[in-house]
Amino acid sequence: MSPKHLEEMYDAVIVGAGAAGLSAALGLLRSPAMAELKANGTEPKVLVISKLQPLRSHTGSAEGGIAASLGNAEADDWRWHYYDTVKGGDWLVDQDAAKLLAQYAPETVVNLERQGVAFSRLDDGHIAQRRFGGHTRDYGKEPVKRAAYAADRIGHQILHTLWQQCVALGVRFAEEWYVTDLVLEDGADGADRRVAGVVALDTHSGQVKAVRARHVLLATGGAGRLFHTTSNSWDLTGDGMALALAAGLQLEDVEFVQFHPTGLAHTGILLSEAARAEGGVLRNKDGEAFMERYAPGHADLAARDVVSRSIMAEVDAGRGVADPKDPDGPRDCVWLDMTGIPAERMEGTLPQVVETIRAYADLDPAKDLVPVKPTAHYTMGGIPVDTDGAVYQWRDGARHTVEGLFAAGECSCVSVHGANRLGGNSLLDACLFGTRAGRAIAARIAEAPVAGEPDPTSADAVDQASRARGEQLAQLLAGADGANGAMDDNPYALMARLGGVMERAAAVRCDAASLAAALEELRGDLEPRAEVLRAHEGTAALNQEVTAIWEVRHLVELGEAVLVASDARHESRGSLKRTDFPERDDERFLAHSMTDASGAVSWQPVHIEDYPPQAREY
Amino acid sequence: MSDMTAPTTVILRVHRFTPRPERERARAASPFARKASPFGGSSASARRKPRGKQWVQEYVVPARPQDTVLDCLLAVKRTLDPSLAFRYSCGHGMCGSDAVAINGEPTLLCTATVAQWAKAGAGPAADDEGFRRTGIPAQGGDDAGDQGAADAQDSADAGDGSLGVIELAPLPGFPPLRDLIADIDPMLDQIRRLKPYLQADGVLATTEDGKIDVFEYLQDPGQLARYETLSNCIACGVCEGACPVYAGGDAFIGPAALIAASRFVNDSRDTKAMERMDAIDTEDGVAACQSVRACSRQCPRGIDVGEEMWQIVAKVRER
Repeated sequence: MSPKHLEEMYDAVIVGAGAAGLSAALGLLRSPAMAELKANGTEPKVLVISKLQPLRSHTGSAEGGIAASLGNAEADDWRWHYYDTVKGGDWLVDQDAAKLLAQYAPETVVNLERQGVAFSRLDDGHIAQRRFGGHTRDYGKEPVKRAAYAADRIGHQILHTLWQQCVALGVRFAEEWYVTDLVLEDGADGADRRVAGVVALDTHSGQVKAVRARHVLLATGGAGRLFHTTSNSWDLTGDGMALALAAGLQLEDVEFVQFHPTGLAHTGILLSEAARAEGGVLRNKDGEAFMERYAPGHADLAARDVVSRSIMAEVDAGRGVADPKDPDGPRDCVWLDMTGIPAERMEGTLPQVVETIRAYADLDPAKDLVPVKPTAHYTMGGIPVDTDGAVYQWRDGARHTVEGLFAAGECSCVSVHGANRLGGNSLLDACLFGTRAGRAIAARIAEAPVAGEPDPTSADAVDQASRARGEQLAQLLAGADGANGAMDDNPYALMARLGGVMERAAAVRCDAASLAAALEELRGDLEPRAEVLRAHEGTAALNQEVTAIWEVRHLVELGEAVLVASDARHESRGSLKRTDFPERDDERFLAHSMTDASGAVSWQPVHIEDYPPQAREY
Repeated sequence: MSDMTAPTTVILRVHRFTPRPERERARAASPFARKASPFGGSSASARRKPRGKQWVQEYVVPARPQDTVLDCLLAVKRTLDPSLAFRYSCGHGMCGSDAVAINGEPTLLCTATVAQWAKAGAGPAADDEGFRRTGIPAQGGDDAGDQGAADAQDSADAGDGSLGVIELAPLPGFPPLRDLIADIDPMLDQIRRLKPYLQADGVLATTEDGKIDVFEYLQDPGQLARYETLSNCIACGVCEGACPVYAGGDAFIGPAALIAASRFVNDSRDTKAMERMDAIDTEDGVAACQSVRACSRQCPRGIDVGEEMWQIVAKVRER
């Protein structure tokens, strides 16, 4: 679906149509401010641009659950959820944000239910809840049933429900448009820069479009494709984060990438944590259930970073196993033993897990041990935002808001996940803070809606960026003479190479030498190669290679920021394990890294409100 | 099969199409357009001959039997031809973006394996008469995967390391846009037409003394079971491409839209079941379903679409 015509100026453009982008659209359109505006006869001009048809968004792959202290299955308290989130994030969590997350989680989940999500149910008709790693009762005691779920398809249910609600409200989409530029302009009288709009490639027509907007919200998702082994879809190329870098903005805490412990061997496809919540056990080559040794009391349901590192430690100690599909390959997997889960229960509560194992490993989890390996899963860091989704810059020890620019979901960092995200908190983050950002934008629109006439200066800035991008597109397409003959470089090969480099240097653990080597490879080899890429075919319409060229450039730029930030943090915390700095160092690094495209890193103190840092033990 | 030692290859025979650069806006389909036979031709919009270059291209790629067809196509992009266009995203059957025709049968690239679909014989795409072998079993055939697997074993016996040929074309029933990418907007428009969103009463449950008791709508597991499977539809379009009525170009709102409608008709929270059934009780609604049940064959979410069609048709008739 594409808009029949583009408005001269939009009140708001939302980039991305997963849980965060769609929640923002709904939060915006349903807010009291908008209702009032509409009652006065002004229709807000809102457009959602996404590089995929919305139903293809990666939110749909989330399996396990969405965390909320509903207390449906057993007693729970939002303060316990708040504490677990802070502890899970290794105290790099901004506690004001985490408090909101936990407090408004029940409301968020109930609202999803009332919009149509087909949650699994208890016999009494309430939303069912299950245990999930790191979620406990009574500030770190035994596990608690906090994750509301829909079999193991919660993401699919939420994504489709949000899209359905957008259909009900008549939200306008520009689907399969790829945003290439975030355009900022200088504010009046030396004020901070403000948003002017975006430039996007309509992939169907192959035309570059200038989209002017008073407010832009980035909700483009994560960047799992930085790594070879990832649970992320092929489209998670860190576009929003790279757009922010290219516009001269900073990224917060990008060195923290969560590796989900149970990717299905080398496919990287996720086997939900629910597999362990329902009784699955990790075993090494000797059959030992080793997690009890690393995390007494929590064992297989310890936080994800703990489990991933434990798996790597077993592999390093020579107790790993080979993927049965590649018996002579590296012994870099361990077994997931689900044979103790009654077959009927497995089919009922883990259908997706069972199906994935059958289809992609050709194994029967009721009888066979399943090879698993940590897989790049979630970027805790991202575009820095406040609790209303407003993007800011950290400068001179203070936050400076970028007027009109917002972000939500995985591409953003409101810092509820800190150094490691708890399962069930990402959908919650995307839905809750997406909605809040939408409402915040609505309040601003209500103050000064687009009356019809464009803002002359922002028109200039966006048109200029659009012209430049159009010229670049023409260059990429010029001289393409088919793919015959010897294959030279192409973005797909380059992306694979980047994934290998990043994986060797930074997956699960790293040190100064591995980071320096990778940075040299990115700057000395991959970046120049990405710069000279050209399309192999000259038709602009649906030329996927053009999009892939821009994606790989985004990934390389973002990869550099990840490596630089990892190098700057001389400690181990949460998902970041520096083998040369194995301990957490609260003296120096109880702070968020703020990294820009030039490689400059500054530090922003963590907001500590209720829970002072403690040792993080599971 | 996984213990093979010699490297093996597969031949991908891809029906390609590049649109002509100077684009003309296609006219909207005329309501007076000639109706095609349900088993021939293509849909009203697809019937317009696409303007551009059409050809068949073969790629030989290294592949193991357990590799998915998507794996093979990604290898083509990386090593042979980055210009080949096909949609793909999650790579594990959840996003629904990569529905195409494999050996003539609509299915997803990322769930189809070489072992299932590679066929012996590298003959031409069409025979002398111009007939194309589609690979769809003539009838019955509710397990085409096994059929394909048998073929694959035949071909592995050839001994030259080739696992056989896999033929790829865009999803039938939808206008091709470029190579394996088809325009599935008609399906999404049809789904949208049927108000695919929960319309509940909005009432909060209360306790006996009038206090608000629970905030979510209550729904017991039995009530959930009545529509849960239907709610798993990922709108990939496989059922539509397989439906001879829909892909054949007759006026039919299509199985995907009817599944979406049925999902809400069967949801105990929804209050508009009657209106929803009225909306599909039309010539191009349930009346157009001819119970062929081809729609069930390859549903990646395991929905027995044909049976669900039957159920909703019966429900509409009985109301």
